[in-house]
Amino acid sequence: MLINLFLLFISSAIVNNFVLAYFLGICPFLGVSKKVDSAFSLGIASTFVMTLTAIISWAINHFILIKYNLPFLQNVSFIIVIASLVQLVEMFIKKTSPPLYRALGIFLPLITTNCAILGLALFAALRDYGFIETIVYGFGAGVGFTLALVIMAGIREQLELADVPKPLEGAGITLIIAGILALAFMGFAGLISV
Amino acid sequence: MEKKKQNLFSIFTNGLWNESPTFKMLLGMCPALAVSNSATNGMAMGLATTFVLIASAFLISTNRKLIPSEVRIAAYIVIIATFVTIADYFLKAFFPVQSKTLGPFVPLIVVNCVILGRAESFSSKNKLIPSLLDALGMGLGFTLALTAIGIIREILGAGSIFDVKLLGDWFEPWIIMLLPAGAFLTLGIMIGIINTFSMKKATVGVDFGDNIGYMEKDKIISTESKFLTSEEIKAAREKKPKAKKPLTKENKTD
Amino acid sequence: MNIASKMIVVLSLMGLLSGGALAGVYKATFEKIKQNQLEELKRAIFIVLTKAKDYKKIEKDGIVVYEGLDENKMPAGLAFKAKGMGFQGEIGMMVGLDSELKKIKGLFVLDQLETPGLGAKITTEDFRGQFKELSVEPKIVYVKNVKPSKPNEIQAITAATISSKAVVNILNRDIKKVEMALKKGD
Repeated sequence: MLINLFLLFISSAIVNNFVLAYFLGICPFLGVSKKVDSAFSLGIASTFVMTLTAIISWAINHFILIKYNLPFLQNVSFIIVIASLVQLVEMFIKKTSPPLYRALGIFLPLITTNCAILGLALFAALRDYGFIETIVYGFGAGVGFTLALVIMAGIREQLELADVPKPLEGAGITLIIAGILALAFMGFAGLISV
Repeated sequence: MEKKKQNLFSIFTNGLWNESPTFKMLLGMCPALAVSNSATNGMAMGLATTFVLIASAFLISTNRKLIPSEVRIAAYIVIIATFVTIADYFLKAFFPVQSKTLGPFVPLIVVNCVILGRAESFSSKNKLIPSLLDALGMGLGFTLALTAIGIIREILGAGSIFDVKLLGDWFEPWIIMLLPAGAFLTLGIMIGIINTFSMKKATVGVDFGDNIGYMEKDKIISTESKFLTSEEIKAAREKKPKAKKPLTKENKTD
Repeated sequence: MNIASKMIVVLSLMGLLSGGALAGVYKATFEKIKQNQLEELKRAIFIVLTKAKDYKKIEKDGIVVYEGLDENKMPAGLAFKAKGMGFQGEIGMMVGLDSELKKIKGLFVLDQLETPGLGAKITTEDFRGQFKELSVEPKIVYVKNVKPSKPNEIQAITAATISSKAVVNILNRDIKKVEMALKKGD
């Protein structure tokens, strides 16, 4: 059982990395990955929200949606959960650690539109994961997201010193690098049969 | 009346090119990369998103005075999520094959930054007709972008276009195009190409010193050493060249 | 009305309208969606059991099989869904076996996320055709780079061994499962 969970974690974090294999979380990936510090902070905050979302969305799915046969409310309820969670996390951080709040700044509300969070909630529901499995899946997804973000930030920090063709500056070169990263991560495919 | 008509039309065309959600504003990237592996998929996703854009623009614009500002984001999200679910079920019922191929990305239209972005910056602040036109323009711009990416990836990756085999058996498909890596590369290169064209408006003038300035018809527009986008050129044009001295050899004081 | 109550009223109203609209759309499309799924199932069954003109659903011990019936309503094989992990994602197939569960009558891939042009070749007639009249005893075996020599062997797709292996493993596993469930209590 534990082995299975560990494999699930590796699968969602690396083999089926949410950003590089499933195209989720691209907006923050392109927008916030310029510096390693901010990338890391956003990644941690997102991982936190993802894990919480995994728990709550599983609960809503099993105790309300499935029980009362309301599958059509899945989208609406999940996104409301996410939006509320982000709001709560924002208020919590503001109260307990104002410096952290200032450091994260605008990134916090942006977590709401991170496709990765809604994506993971929907995928977990689609694949009928159990409670523990959903938590591990959510946590793994967050770690994978943070990983992709930090790698990209590290590369982009180095890129500042390089001679990028002008039209490719910004989004262009970032996407091309993302493509190469995706190619690299393809090497992990087939590592785990989960 | 003439000016209003022109304004409305330009609102519509804005989304098609100038502020293309995919190529210029870099919004809605997730679906742009994920479902653009064939022309049909790209178009289907674009049309579904356009539907949600227009429907939510309609509701948000007509009710913009009724929704309290504090809860507006929550309200928009609920409206958008509702229409996305409607679109999802519509596809499942009447286009099951397409629904299966697009898969879990239809519900993900909810977090498509284009829709929330337009709701927040346009529909909530404008009357019904302009909002609808903006939504239509953005949606079509998005659809065009996705279809374009889809066409390129499909031709190179499968030798077909809209599922019609175009290139003969002599062509060995570039499988990479159908995979995530190919999506990133295609979009990156496309943005690069488009930027080249949009940035051609100003020409570079080089001083003998360290300054690189941008000149247009012999007039220095800016001395920033980077490519300017058309908006920045426009802004710099309007700004009177104030403190910076013109870059002629005589004026170099340092 | 102060701000707080206005917020509550607006949000509750939206919630109700949204829920109502969605419930309506769900009801309206329910039948059509179910019909679509049934159509897909029927098509898959008839592809793998070529002699069947109709089918009957059998549920036993948590296993669902579809017994094909030919034009005289006589048994024409058993079909069931097999699924498991492939190279990139889950592979779902419809397998048709003869009524004694000794030979495969047909194979149809329902869902797969394998590498296009390589693993995805498991959907081609070239690969699937190998499974027609394939013996499943003692189990299906795949061989690489040589032509199959035994009645229970198939040749894996070149450069797509993992996907081919996945298909074989899924089939072996699920066929055993169906066998156990049906033979029990017979």
